[in-house]
Amino acid sequence: MSLARPHRTWTAGFALALSLCMAQHAYTATRAAAPAADLLVTAAKPDRLFVIDAAARAVRTQHQVAGANGQIFTIVLSPDQRIAFLLVDRMERIVGIDLGSGREVFRAELSTSAERVKDFFALMVTPDGKELIAYELPTQLKPSEYVVEEPRFAVFRTDAGLTARPVRSYPAPRRIHMLLARPNGQSFYALGFDLYEYDVKTGKLLGTRGIQKWALTDHSQPDLLAFWPVSEPTGVFTSPVYSELKKAGGNVPMTALMSLNLKSGELAYADFEPLSALIFSTILSPDRKHAYGVYTTLTSIDVDAHRLEKRVPLDHTFYAVNVSSDGREIYLGGTNCDVGFYDAAKLEKKAILKLPGCSDQTLSTLRVIRGK
Amino acid sequence: MSIGVEKYWKSWAAALLLGSSGAGAAQGAAAVSGPELVRSYCSGCHQEQAGKFERISDIRKTPEGWVMTLFRMRQMHGLNLGDDVRDALVRYLADTQGLAPAESAAGRFALERRPNAQDIDLGPEIGVMCGRCHTLARVSLQRRDEAEWLKLAHTHVGQWTSIEYSASGRDRPWWQIASGPLPGKLAALFPFSSSAWNEWQSRPVRDLGGSWVVVGHVPGGKDFYGTARIERDAGGDFAAHYQLADVTGFAMNGDSKAILYTGYEWRGSAQIGARSLREVYAVSDDGNRIAGRWFDAAHAEEGGEWTAVREGGAPQVLAVLPQSLRAGTTTTVTIVGNGLGAATLPVSFGAGTSVTKVERSAQRIRALVTVAANAAPGMRAVSTGAAVGKLAVYAQIDQLNVVPGYAIARLGGGRVEPVSAQFEAMGFTRLPGGELLALGPVSAEWTSMPFDAEAKRTEDEKFAGHFDMRGRFLPSAAGPNPAREFSGDNVGNLTVVARAADSSRTLEGRGHLIVTVQRWITPPIY
Repeated sequence: MSLARPHRTWTAGFALALSLCMAQHAYTATRAAAPAADLLVTAAKPDRLFVIDAAARAVRTQHQVAGANGQIFTIVLSPDQRIAFLLVDRMERIVGIDLGSGREVFRAELSTSAERVKDFFALMVTPDGKELIAYELPTQLKPSEYVVEEPRFAVFRTDAGLTARPVRSYPAPRRIHMLLARPNGQSFYALGFDLYEYDVKTGKLLGTRGIQKWALTDHSQPDLLAFWPVSEPTGVFTSPVYSELKKAGGNVPMTALMSLNLKSGELAYADFEPLSALIFSTILSPDRKHAYGVYTTLTSIDVDAHRLEKRVPLDHTFYAVNVSSDGREIYLGGTNCDVGFYDAAKLEKKAILKLPGCSDQTLSTLRVIRGK
Repeated sequence: MSIGVEKYWKSWAAALLLGSSGAGAAQGAAAVSGPELVRSYCSGCHQEQAGKFERISDIRKTPEGWVMTLFRMRQMHGLNLGDDVRDALVRYLADTQGLAPAESAAGRFALERRPNAQDIDLGPEIGVMCGRCHTLARVSLQRRDEAEWLKLAHTHVGQWTSIEYSASGRDRPWWQIASGPLPGKLAALFPFSSSAWNEWQSRPVRDLGGSWVVVGHVPGGKDFYGTARIERDAGGDFAAHYQLADVTGFAMNGDSKAILYTGYEWRGSAQIGARSLREVYAVSDDGNRIAGRWFDAAHAEEGGEWTAVREGGAPQVLAVLPQSLRAGTTTTVTIVGNGLGAATLPVSFGAGTSVTKVERSAQRIRALVTVAANAAPGMRAVSTGAAVGKLAVYAQIDQLNVVPGYAIARLGGGRVEPVSAQFEAMGFTRLPGGELLALGPVSAEWTSMPFDAEAKRTEDEKFAGHFDMRGRFLPSAAGPNPAREFSGDNVGNLTVVARAADSSRTLEGRGHLIVTVQRWITPPIY
């Protein structure tokens, strides 16, 4: 059952994007102007999906996601920003929720009675919005034992409704934790031990580039574990990477920023500081000059000069970070029921929004629906 | 895991104890043979072929291990067993598919729930592959062949997806190792078939009935001693009646009911004074010694040592209390043991000592011992006839050691109880040759201070907890603390300081204490 109280402005707000892909969706909406400001999408235990008006610092709608079973994991938005695809039910189900109405418009049960299938955070929607790709870790459930099977990518049609089954699947490496669509629609990236690129249609492995086997030869094996495929607003995915710089007098722990341009395919790693504070996730600002990292501190990184710009302590841990469309505000989420609004230039707190019910966002993604 | 797990573990923690199921019901289930119980309750999934049940028949475990298996079957696979059936299954499986004493020896500290124990070392690969989540004692307390260890690897990935992604899992091809070389290595270390188990199964069952002499120690408290009278009932279970007293004469009487699993694993539920205690003891191969650890039913970290020896055995000294005497003092000393009662045999406490007022029975000698002011420091043999013990003589305390030197306490809050850390100050005197002689526990004052500059900056000693009078650190409540940086938890990195006066000097000993977060999953074997 949805708790949605559809807001007229909100429903209308997606019209521009909707008009671009009307043919793909059966439902209708009123034509009107796009949202004037950013809308944030986050989730909290056990089953709540929130849409937040960033400028008003207010929750615009909340939906109760049936069958979430305790926690909503990854949130991926459709290209038209109308549907939130959510990994739920202990990573065994993907649902699509219409953000305006709260209606469930897509459901893919990954597991069957004979096979338990978990998707460890990794899913994506193709740029045309027609297909959703999930990373599946299957285990055969025999009466007295589990049999681990090989992982695979499973492709679903997003218009398959509530009984979606894969239209095709192909082999995948183990330990994938993120999928990122490339804008050309032909291929996608999978992050795991290394960075793999696959053909969307055929599943052919197009290339492998180093993450554990990275090019920084004077460093130890790096550690990268990112859950959230957040590349808005720049089309560049970034993540902190930890390694040790090998030195004669003793290795030095370093923090690097990894950046992956989804359009050009450019992949770069650069140390920006000797490790002095943990960073859980990062976001690249719209001007592409700064990256912001978050955990117990909020960090600003000069991307071109590869150096730490500024760091401030936070009231408590935040796992998720995003940035406003104009680059002037940083949004924080992913812990407790607090959504933080910080000034991007000064790293000063501007506001904290307490989510209704104040339950924990835990490992939910913080996504931004871009205002115009 | 779900919120309910902690609650269920608490209710299942008593599953190994007599009386956890109704007596009548237990007898009903016990009337059914073990194989018939497995056939009735397990073979729906674990199919029977040629008298063997899939998986079940290929594994050997401790009683605690079988309780955990049945708990998992209930929690994850919906197996609904009455307590009587559960208890009967655990008895049958532990008796017929258990571990021999030699096989469980290395991991006993985990069964005994000893706090701050040093885990066993199985090398770097197993240390990371298994030891990053479990004690290696837990690994060592199971026996499987290679194919069955491989199935356990499948179970792990099938149930816990994050295993390949969490720290020390994602840095290596975890599944390829777990499903490749690791099962063979584990089977070589902990094989299903062993001569130790074959030999143990052929030994006669020991009857523990009779009178026993007991000595024990309460960490941070006092040594105690006394007698236990053990009776075996018709079903083979035991009732024990304790008449104990600490060294000051304070009575610690009580009773226990116990099940003897696998022929040597004593699991008792005792009531001593106002305290409910658990007993995890092992019976020696000859059936004449019962030793292990007892602990508080609700706080396993609070407990102590226990040794019971059958009365009437060969003369021996189990304990000399206190362990040390200062030169120039006169002290009542108690010797506890067997064969001590012959009035014709003199009692000697060694050079530089004189004895008056000797009271003696077969199990106990109380004597007033005077140590000459000029007695040479050193270890003395305490003897009467063939029974020989030890006593240290000293002139001054030269060193104070905090034991354990490194300890962990855990914050408590919500549904999880705090875990305290008990320290003792152990005195030493330096002998003329330079070597140190242990004197036993010394009364001390306890404080804490920041372990390093970071702990000082974050004021850990202010937030993490405090000491009581007997060297027990009581951690603070858990949860975000707005008064701390990042609303951090009340964790701490502390130096423990013990100070003891010795004549005009003050001695100081130091230890290290980590006060950390709650342990959310609290199975019988970590």
